[in-house]
Amino acid sequence: MTFKLKALSVAMSIAMISSTSQADEAADAKIAKLEQQVQALQSQQNASLADKVQFNGFISGAYISSDNDAGYNNADTSANFSEDSKLGFQGTFNITDRTQAVLQLMMRGEYDWEVEAEWAYLAHRFDNGIRVRGGKLRVPLFMYSDYLDVGYAQPFSRPPQEVYGTIPFSSYTGAGVSYDVDYDDSTLTVQAFGGESDVKNSAVKLSNLMGANVSWTDEIWTLRAVYAQAQLDGPVVNEVDVELASNVNTTAKYTVLDIDDEKGSFVGVGASYDNGEIIAITEWTRSEINEAYPDTDSGYLTLGYRIKAFTPYVTVAYMETKDNDERLPLSQAAAIQMIAFNAERMAYSLGLRWDAIDNLAVKFDITYADEFGDTSGGLTSNSLDTTTGKFTYDDTLIYTVKFDAVF
Amino acid sequence: MRTLLSVLALSISTIISAQAAVVVIGNPAAGDLSASDAKKAFLGKGDSSVVVYELEEGNATRSEFHQAVTGKSDAQLKAFWSKQVFTGKGNPPATVPNAAAMKSAVASSPNAIGYIDEADVDATVKVILKP
Repeated sequence: MTFKLKALSVAMSIAMISSTSQADEAADAKIAKLEQQVQALQSQQNASLADKVQFNGFISGAYISSDNDAGYNNADTSANFSEDSKLGFQGTFNITDRTQAVLQLMMRGEYDWEVEAEWAYLAHRFDNGIRVRGGKLRVPLFMYSDYLDVGYAQPFSRPPQEVYGTIPFSSYTGAGVSYDVDYDDSTLTVQAFGGESDVKNSAVKLSNLMGANVSWTDEIWTLRAVYAQAQLDGPVVNEVDVELASNVNTTAKYTVLDIDDEKGSFVGVGASYDNGEIIAITEWTRSEINEAYPDTDSGYLTLGYRIKAFTPYVTVAYMETKDNDERLPLSQAAAIQMIAFNAERMAYSLGLRWDAIDNLAVKFDITYADEFGDTSGGLTSNSLDTTTGKFTYDDTLIYTVKFDAVF
Repeated sequence: MRTLLSVLALSISTIISAQAAVVVIGNPAAGDLSASDAKKAFLGKGDSSVVVYELEEGNATRSEFHQAVTGKSDAQLKAFWSKQVFTGKGNPPATVPNAAAMKSAVASSPNAIGYIDEADVDATVKVILKP
């Protein structure tokens, strides 16, 4: 039986070989044609998959350090590699031609690389051009809000802290609607948004967050204006080191201020110019909130000049709390509030962006901050010396070396 | 000597072809395109039915094209698209490796546009804008 089977298979192979050799040329032609078809199908399939799902990412690695421990951008005299280092992944899923789901996951050194969804939304564009998004979105308060963490898309090492540091939340859960009006050489975008948010690492909640912004760009000039408001509620808590005995320390938390469902509002205007060589960016903002929490004005101007792969820039920025006197009820608590919340500061930055290789920029920055007045300069680690009644530091210098890449 | 000559000839031909201007091409049936519509299309704005093809990054014709049409340098364009991508506003156009692939991509769809060096234009495509 075994022998018979073997004989059969041998016979079959011989038959196949002979038939193959006879039809050699015809088969070759057929195979070539099939191969072509398979290739065409494969590229079609790849193309349709690429149309449906896109993955992108960005990464920043930064070294920051300061000449003192005032805590500007959480820098101190030792090297800090985590504060401005971050990693983001984004998946864009095109459900239909007009509907997409976007998920952006972020990990920040500042928050121990904890994974967070920074964007997670469903978007739909209607026939009339109106785009609706719902889910977790960025609060579009500033010019760079939408791509705050994508350093590669920004000229500077970090958006000026005097302006961007005044608002302690960057995303909200809710919905937004936007509409683009296309002119011959420019685009006007109108956007409205509403939802709720909370302040990172605190118990302060924002409800009834709503606002609108309008921006116009011809890809050289960009002009924008924004208004937003929200109800704020919850305790503002400060953390202090307390020495129980010599070399026995503990951290104590105390509530500086209970925000009791107060209304806060925000207005901002911005303009930028970029003709490929000269860059100018400016923003000005005012945030106001009832009662004891401070109202703050802030602004900056950045000027840069591109010389091939190098873009040197300078920035001047300021921030100042406006209602120092109004906020001062005659109590002991008020004194703490004043110490905690009064702030003014000027900052001067000198930096360089170097587009070193494709998709990767290296940035160098020196920022000097001073003119704190009688305040901490808004720097959390700048503590009050009760014996002199003055704050420990009246200026600070911060060095930054950073790389930003996209992939 | 012969190698040297051919290298010389090659580099001269490269220089000559680099001097020819870049043109926007469309399907032979397509109408002309305005400079502002071209700028919009290559920045992912305007009419969404237009299918845009780009040459790959690092291609000299690509840089020349963007200098003329969108006014953006390679680095600026990269920064522009990273901003668009990470704000969910759009993705950069599909890329093709060379002029031949560009012509066949554009010729295959009535709404497709792309750009090539003027010297590479043939009957399969139509020049719809000379920026």
